Amino acid sequence: MKKIFLSGLTAGIILFIISYGGLYTAIHYFPSFFVDYNNPLFNSNGDRDILFYSHAFIFSFALSWFWERFKGLFKGHFILRGLEFGFVYGIIALVPVMWITFSSLDITFTMVSSWFFYGLCQAIIAGIVFARTNP
Amino acid sequence: MVVFVSATDKAPALIKWIILKDCTVRVNGSTNINKFSCSIPEYQRSDTLTCYRPGNEVPVVLSGRLALPVISFDCNNSMMTNDLRKTLKAKEFPSLNIYFISLEKYPELNHAQEPITGLVNIELAGISKKIEVNYRFSMDEQKIIHLVGTQTIRFSDFLLVPPRKLGGMIRADDRLDVIFRINFKRIADS
Repeated sequence: MKKIFLSGLTAGIILFIISYGGLYTAIHYFPSFFVDYNNPLFNSNGDRDILFYSHAFIFSFALSWFWERFKGLFKGHFILRGLEFGFVYGIIALVPVMWITFSSLDITFTMVSSWFFYGLCQAIIAGIVFARTNP
Repeated sequence: MVVFVSATDKAPALIKWIILKDCTVRVNGSTNINKFSCSIPEYQRSDTLTCYRPGNEVPVVLSGRLALPVISFDCNNSMMTNDLRKTLKAKEFPSLNIYFISLEKYPELNHAQEPITGLVNIELAGISKKIEVNYRFSMDEQKIIHLVGTQTIRFSDFLLVPPRKLGGMIRADDRLDVIFRINFKRIADS
């Protein structure tokens, strides 16, 4: 349990920095890519900011538990284990979620693709962290 | 109902000007990723504006209202249009009302554009605020009076929160530049 928590916390801190730092940088350098977010689908009054910024930790703790249960299935170098873990998450979680999201919400394919890529990168980074901290 | 009252230097007079239908209101704003421009392309009501100036006294008193349907704002982008309507609470407060209060002086009304300031009360999202507006008055050959009013307002003036997305990483500026173009035709003196 302690390993799950510590691995999750470590991954959460790293993902927080990389994810929100990357998002901030992307918005700064590629602003046109984010114009479609001016859409009432997205919360606009700030009352859920704490939920938005805690996502990295929710994501990391959930994946840390998943890693603890199934880490024996991922073999090889820690980077390879992290990559495989990320792709497994991408296939079993991201693809179906993005599928239903794109089919039901008024969002662009580019937007949903970017979410898939973002989630996949997060899962790979988390997997690499778990493979190092909780092999 | 908007009534615009005018007078000669000697005698007070009341003039009613009817608002023609080819009037527009535009708001220009920006976010940290883009600029937006939204307009109500055509004012559909034939309101009148009354201007009353007793003798040489200034300011000139105005009365009348422009009631603009917030739902008619169009930003040439459906998502942005919906977002602006939501921000302006279009469902709860369907009208943006501009109440004309006064002009610093009576306009000369000729071909040249004449800058005049005036006071209006803007009622938006249930909040009313008195604002000084910069007008430009002119009159063309068909005796149509053209009024262009410009002013910068702030979302916060009307207790509105500028839209912010993704935890505030995308955020609209508080400032909005409002430009309204109104065309009048004189209908009566009294």
